[in-house]
Amino acid sequence: MSELKRWLAPGLGGLILVAVVLTWLFSLVTGYDVIADVDPSRASLGPGEGHLLGTDHLGRDVFWRMVTASEAFVGPSLLAAAVTLVLGLPPAGWAGYLGGGVAHLVRYLYTVLGSLPRFVLVLLCCAIYGNETVVIAIAAGVAYAPALGEAVTARLEELRSADFVAAARAHGVSPARVLWYHLLWVNCRPLVARHLLYLFGYYLLLETTLSYIGGFGVEEPVPSWGNMLAFEFHVSDGNLYAWAAPALAIWLTILATTLSASALSGVRRA
Amino acid sequence: MSAGPSDDAVAAGRLVRSLFMRAAWFLATLVGAVVLLQLLLWAAPGDPIDLLPNGEELRPRLEAEWGLDRPLPVRVASSVGKALTGDLGTSFSVRPGASVSELVSSRASRSLGILLPALLLGLALALPLARLTAGRGAVARRLVEAASVAPVFLVAYLSVHGLNELTFALIEGDWIGRPGWFALPDQPSALRTAIAISVLAVASSSLAELHGSLEAEVRHIRHSGYYEAAIARGAPTRALELVNLVAPLASLAASRMTFLVGGLVIIEKVLLINGAGALLWDACLQRDYNVAMGITLYAAVAVCGARLVADVVRVLIDPRLRAST
Repeated sequence: MSELKRWLAPGLGGLILVAVVLTWLFSLVTGYDVIADVDPSRASLGPGEGHLLGTDHLGRDVFWRMVTASEAFVGPSLLAAAVTLVLGLPPAGWAGYLGGGVAHLVRYLYTVLGSLPRFVLVLLCCAIYGNETVVIAIAAGVAYAPALGEAVTARLEELRSADFVAAARAHGVSPARVLWYHLLWVNCRPLVARHLLYLFGYYLLLETTLSYIGGFGVEEPVPSWGNMLAFEFHVSDGNLYAWAAPALAIWLTILATTLSASALSGVRRA
Repeated sequence: MSAGPSDDAVAAGRLVRSLFMRAAWFLATLVGAVVLLQLLLWAAPGDPIDLLPNGEELRPRLEAEWGLDRPLPVRVASSVGKALTGDLGTSFSVRPGASVSELVSSRASRSLGILLPALLLGLALALPLARLTAGRGAVARRLVEAASVAPVFLVAYLSVHGLNELTFALIEGDWIGRPGWFALPDQPSALRTAIAISVLAVASSSLAELHGSLEAEVRHIRHSGYYEAAIARGAPTRALELVNLVAPLASLAASRMTFLVGGLVIIEKVLLINGAGALLWDACLQRDYNVAMGITLYAAVAVCGARLVADVVRVLIDPRLRAST
């Protein structure tokens, strides 16, 4: 019973995340035409009549726009995760395990990068390099890297004087293998996975916020859960589902990342 | 063992040294931030002036101001020097010709008036909540999490919209007259500022993060030896708990500052508040790099300043931190 209780929330979060990723894959194979779908004659319909969630006030199908909007963040968040892993793991591994002057330098660089608020850094990158999805994804990855890097460095500093590390070294295991396998893979996996889940939630938050305010992020007619909300909020009439669906989707997906991440957080305190 | 004057002198020396190290770290981080910003601009494809809509018109002035003909290290060094003396250049599209530091300073006070109350409100909500729910299972934490993960823009919109609907319903039903605080969007209004502060303190996981971390700290304190000893002696535990929470509270407040500054940009845009955050957004849209970088630097000063204050508080109350670094 207590096992069930313990896994209920993370399991629920995991299910929602799986559903989001499946939606993304589904969207990639179906290919919905966002422009051809405009038909004012069927504006602001309720659910039913061939439209699962009704239509918005341009007559566009809300369900299909919801599905297509998953492309705005699932793919880019994978790119952001790759950038964060590249910038957050090897330098942190070096700093945490080997220590010395390089460790101070790495820590300093993470502090400098972390002193710029993430959202501000992403905005600045959009201004300098252009409002492209690739730019936003890479900037988000760079902006998140200090969080992962500092956490991994701290964890490795705790572990590097542990007996199993000394034992592995005494058996002639190379430092690289101790670092990458014994320390990072075996002992930091849950920590890294937790940060990647947070990054996924963060990217969704970032993308929908930029698209909601407008000017950056995904712009009409390409759908994002953020600009769907903005579109409905500015002309709020008719179909309730047209704004409730993206609002709920954003909230549930971010909640799902924190719920599923909570299953991984107990490991670190042990 | 009585502490002689020499011990006092040693302790004072350590304290001064620790504080000095923290201040030096603060300055070094800011210099690093200026260098990083310059590198970001330098790494732009082609040259940054090409990206401006009115680039060719501004080219002679900007080339001189940014020193594009000089090698990168010289440019970076000169921009660090200028930034340290408060010279952040002039705006070229948001408010052409205006000095960036004056432009930002005039907006920064309004932003700080939202930022600091939001931080305090967050702590004031999270502290009693954490003391109440610590050690009582995960349900309370999950509820706070579920309410708090909603994005800032969504909560801000829904609260304004809900309040509008409610007010209109009350006016239509002749319950109230047309209130005097119906401010026009461009005027500052106490109500919108209050909404901004409360949304910022709670939404985008702000409250959940504070609550979660404080709960862990409270649990840690309640499981420590000195706490159990106090219970065994029958001594009051409430004050003991609060005193031991000061250091973690300071660190937490400093680390939340980074996220609140990001949230501030969003809330100012959504609620149409003319602060530094909204100015940053407009500067980025219009590619006014001097203004955008100036505000980013102010943000970095706020973040690093909060860390410095937290460090100083921790060094002052915890002598163990003085020996290290």
